[in-house]
Amino acid sequence: MKKVLYASAGVLALAGTGLVYGWLTSETRNEGEEWARHEASGGEDLSHETITVLGPWLGPDKAQFEAVIHHFEAATGADVQYSGSDSFEQQIVIDTEAGSAPNIAAFPQPGLAADLAAKGYLSALPDGTADWVRDNYAAGQSWVDLGTYAGKDGNPAHYGFFYKIDLKSLVWYVPENFEDAGYDVPQSMEELKALTDQIVDDGGVPWCIGLGSGGATGWPATDWVEDMMLRTQTPADYDAWVANDLKFDDPKVVAAIEEFGAFARNDAYVSGGAGAVATTDFRDSPQGMFASPPQCYMHRQASFIPSFFPEGTKIGVDADFFYFPAYEGKDLGKPVLGAGTVWAITADSKGAQAFMEFLKSPIAHEIWMAQTGFLTPHKGVNTDVYKDPTVAKMNDILLNADTFRFDGSDLMPGAVGAGVFWTGMVDYAGGKDAAEVAASIQSTWNSIK
Amino acid sequence: MDMAGGKSRLTWAVNLFAALLVLLWIIPTVGLLISSFRDRDAISTSGWWTALSASEKNVIERALAPDQAKPEGDLWVLEGHVLEGQGVTVTAFGITSKEPVAFTPGDTATHARGHKITVRADGRYRIEYAEEPSESRGQRLFVRAETPPGFTLDNYREVLFAEGMGRSLLNTLTVTIPATIIPVLVAAFAAYALAWMEMPGRALLVAAVVGLLVVPLQVAFIPLLKLHIGIGLGKGYLGIWLAHTGFGLPLAVFLLRNYMVGLPGEIIESARVDGATDFQIFRRIILPLSFPALASFAIFQFLWVWNDLLVAKVFLGTGEDQVVMTGRIVDLLGSRGGDWEILAASAFVSIAVPILVFFSLQRYLVRGVLAGSVKGAAV
Repeated sequence: MKKVLYASAGVLALAGTGLVYGWLTSETRNEGEEWARHEASGGEDLSHETITVLGPWLGPDKAQFEAVIHHFEAATGADVQYSGSDSFEQQIVIDTEAGSAPNIAAFPQPGLAADLAAKGYLSALPDGTADWVRDNYAAGQSWVDLGTYAGKDGNPAHYGFFYKIDLKSLVWYVPENFEDAGYDVPQSMEELKALTDQIVDDGGVPWCIGLGSGGATGWPATDWVEDMMLRTQTPADYDAWVANDLKFDDPKVVAAIEEFGAFARNDAYVSGGAGAVATTDFRDSPQGMFASPPQCYMHRQASFIPSFFPEGTKIGVDADFFYFPAYEGKDLGKPVLGAGTVWAITADSKGAQAFMEFLKSPIAHEIWMAQTGFLTPHKGVNTDVYKDPTVAKMNDILLNADTFRFDGSDLMPGAVGAGVFWTGMVDYAGGKDAAEVAASIQSTWNSIK
Repeated sequence: MDMAGGKSRLTWAVNLFAALLVLLWIIPTVGLLISSFRDRDAISTSGWWTALSASEKNVIERALAPDQAKPEGDLWVLEGHVLEGQGVTVTAFGITSKEPVAFTPGDTATHARGHKITVRADGRYRIEYAEEPSESRGQRLFVRAETPPGFTLDNYREVLFAEGMGRSLLNTLTVTIPATIIPVLVAAFAAYALAWMEMPGRALLVAAVVGLLVVPLQVAFIPLLKLHIGIGLGKGYLGIWLAHTGFGLPLAVFLLRNYMVGLPGEIIESARVDGATDFQIFRRIILPLSFPALASFAIFQFLWVWNDLLVAKVFLGTGEDQVVMTGRIVDLLGSRGGDWEILAASAFVSIAVPILVFFSLQRYLVRGVLAGSVKGAAV
């Protein structure tokens, strides 16, 4: 009786993701079945294993990840329970401290994973994972470095595996508004600035910028500053800045903050005026592009933002994006800023190991790629599964980057990267002097060393 | 006379001030309530105070794809309807984002590529091409439309069924009802014992309970959760009932004991003389007499547990069957933060039950609190 129940539940679950499967099996190389066969023959039987996963995704993202889970369950018989939380950062700390940790956690910020690793709450990934990442991920070594932390004993080990990447250096726009006004997509930062001025001359407003995000208000500005650091300074300087070897109040950093200010603190450049920047919610700010008449023409935000575009917006038709360009006059190549979720084992088990193994398989990436909003540095995946060509375009930006750098604020200590850097940027957007803001951020950093 | 006049002036001032305070609280609540019945577009284009009048909004809608045009004479024609079924009146239209309201309904606009576009007041449009078009991207039509006021229950439907608030409502009830009843029961026994049963060290015990009132419950979270996990209780409903009971007991015992101490001793003495046991006195005399205090504490505890987020985050799991409403709303703030209509509807689902409880039991609230505190102070 119980078996029948399970079976019908499985059928229901599969029916929900049937579209994805149908699409995958007809268009791809059937790795899914291969993986299932491999697990069935060589892999261990996991039908009595329950694997709990805690992550930051809710809503549509959650449904998409569950499609990935269903595949794993179908292949191994294990029961995977995913729960998402908007306060993931607090939840995972409570759970690990109290000993009720999930088997696997998906951290949006490597800094937090490093903290937990230092307290001994993470289990190192199996030997060979680091080599695998080096061989199979684009810019593999950097992904290994980002996932390697010092453990409780002080010895560094590979704890974190990256799965699902966000691309941050994107500018969103409405192609038809550009056509109506006769604007071209800028290819360099100089052209972008010229376009910004031209829009103002034509009586329009070029940018929509919103920093509001509840308790995390200010974070969109940190992305701007990081992008500007990569476009005005060398990658080595960026790394030194993230490690605080280059002080926060160094003129180079202050200059990057002022580069952001050149856009955000000019009343004519921003929809609603500079005063609205800090108070507009980041989820509401792109709406201005879709208003009639348009309240702004461009919006710089990461690859996830289409979730907050008006209902029915088709990417590639109603809205599109271009690479946030680099200065032509500076020889810094095409730097790309990104972020990603890092997966780590918080309570080791046979099932947890198997699931991490599964995340390496191309099918785990392709199932999500076939849906939406999923980027991966995995070189072995079939990029044909991208339903819409714009996401493939994003992945190309990622794979072709001269320099890829991880979101600096996510790597800084929590009190800075998820604290004074955010609030400092709000102060700066509100009119405070850049050098003063940078000095106060540095003084906080000094105090936690 | 003077004094009476002064007094009435003071009364007026007090009344006015009270009315002002009520208004201050009611206005945002009413705004939220009205917003929870409006759709997303209405909220983003006009304020809730205009909800009852027709509103004008600018809309962009895409016409049918040109490759669907049908031949008509020597023209290729597309016909369709903007904002279909919404009962709107078009007051102006345009064909480029630079001039979204350049034409009045019925005019013919000529696109830079040569095709002619007409939008009529009822929303019907007609696009004429001289040659067979092949594009698959529809022409954007910019329309200024007058929308009649409209309210919808869709927000509540979405919140309750698609976003899981319905399930969370059940979870919250599962947490709240036992977490209210258990401490009231335990505290009533304890309060009677501390008020009327002679025993050595009674005063010290009362002092200890009062002392516990000042312990911040946050310091107990992680140790308590560790204990729960250590004894195999894990995260779940039993754990959170126990936690809420523990956190609520000091105040409950204190309030009820103060109230019970104030009950007339003669009744209890005479019952003793008649041979009643302590349990009989408690059940037959104390409990019925203490009802206002019990009810007022029950309301306090109910509201506090209902609105609690922190304790639930710590002691409950994160699975679908254990997320309480406050937790769900916090998650919605993240995943649907821009959708005011969804958040407003969730907020109202969450406050509906407390409001009901408050209004049905409010007379006990005032009586119980006053009775407990005033008499307690007298003791």
